[in-house]
Amino acid sequence: MQATSANIRRARPLLGTFVDIDVDDVDERQAEEAVEAAFAAVAEVHRLMSFHEADSDVSRLNRIASSGAVAVHPWTYEVMEMAADMNRRSAGAFDIGIAPTLQQLGQLPSDEDAPVLPGTCVPMAEAVELLGDNRVRFTRASVKVDLGGIAKGYAVDRAVDALRSHGVRSAIVNAGGDLAAFGPDARTIHIRDPRSPDRLICLVDVSNQALASTGRRFDPFRSAAATDSAVIEPKSRTPTCAVHGATVRASSCMIADALTKVVMIAGAEAAAPLDHYRASAIFISADGDVRATSDWQGVRHNAS
Amino acid sequence: MTEWLKWTAPAAVVMSVAAPAYATQYMSVGEAQKSAFPSATGFAEVQAGRVWKAQAGERVMGYFYYDHVVGKHLLIDYAVAVDADGRVRKVEILNYRESYGGEVHDASWLQQFVGKSSQSALQMNSDIRNISGATLSSTHLTEGVKKVLAYHASHFR
Repeated sequence: MQATSANIRRARPLLGTFVDIDVDDVDERQAEEAVEAAFAAVAEVHRLMSFHEADSDVSRLNRIASSGAVAVHPWTYEVMEMAADMNRRSAGAFDIGIAPTLQQLGQLPSDEDAPVLPGTCVPMAEAVELLGDNRVRFTRASVKVDLGGIAKGYAVDRAVDALRSHGVRSAIVNAGGDLAAFGPDARTIHIRDPRSPDRLICLVDVSNQALASTGRRFDPFRSAAATDSAVIEPKSRTPTCAVHGATVRASSCMIADALTKVVMIAGAEAAAPLDHYRASAIFISADGDVRATSDWQGVRHNAS
Repeated sequence: MTEWLKWTAPAAVVMSVAAPAYATQYMSVGEAQKSAFPSATGFAEVQAGRVWKAQAGERVMGYFYYDHVVGKHLLIDYAVAVDADGRVRKVEILNYRESYGGEVHDASWLQQFVGKSSQSALQMNSDIRNISGATLSSTHLTEGVKKVLAYHASHFR
């Protein structure tokens, strides 16, 4: 039988959300293999960087990195290097050292043997030492990191790499709203209104780029209403309230994912880090204003 | 240097935009069975429309479960493939439908999806697009998979 060009689309529950991979323009049998490899890459990132899995690099670091250098997978190290860079560029707004606060707020599970003491969060710049050669050390025992604000984007990037290396020429990978697309044709993305997920803010075309969004949480199993933000402001250690939701377009999904947190926390002050990473953004402030960087390319949804 | 501008979409237009019914068909039951157990020679129905035994000749390769998780505005059909030794081989989402018009609980609306293959794309009231925005959790689906595994452990092991 002659090889035909195929379109396949698959979805699996990974990274605590739904990961959707849509591939076209590839031989049919090759497409299945490529999608399998892409999901495997996402699962590997989950295995390495989950706060919840006891054997992950993150859990190992949180247990033992304060007593000596710990070697991690090169992928984990790469994400931590970007996290450190993002931390510096955002004047501390992006901080993976926020884990103890997330535990106190019940957003991350607590270890019953090691209760979290109030006020134990140490800013990343003082807490984490990246020693080179994929080795990481924490400066004190109370340090805990969570890569939840950046690893999902990185997983999307790894999935895209896997698809490309399997000969796929056009695809989109969407991990619960953090997505990246490549190929000749642009893909249109609907961006939900973070205040009310049954409405849209705008449509955006994405091609050979990444787009990440963060907003309030919402659960269509329970209701159409959005609840609190899951983004915590490191300085006040409380959920952000200045911004309802943000969407960032960048060259990689890891950068876009992390920058959504910076915009959520720093609002308009995110201009400098956005500029540095050559990213553009749109956000909805608490007063209902929709603000966008001057280079933002979004299309208004025409309702008629 | 990046500047912020007030994004001036006309308020009337933005406010009237209701998100369409997002629905995606990924795979039919038959496709998911074949993809989970590529070397199976047959699938024997153990429980009508819900549970199948994957066989290679006489040998039992594992079991295939088809189940749903339903919420107020979301319905997900999913499949869990379990190895002969009881381990999860694969979890696939077959259909995803999100709607704010109340259709999720309407049997006739749901019926249009049954047995469709992923190749026969549905025409909804809008194109089926990618969505981005508020964080969507997969907790309910994870609980569904646990339920399936508990059922499997008590019936087939």
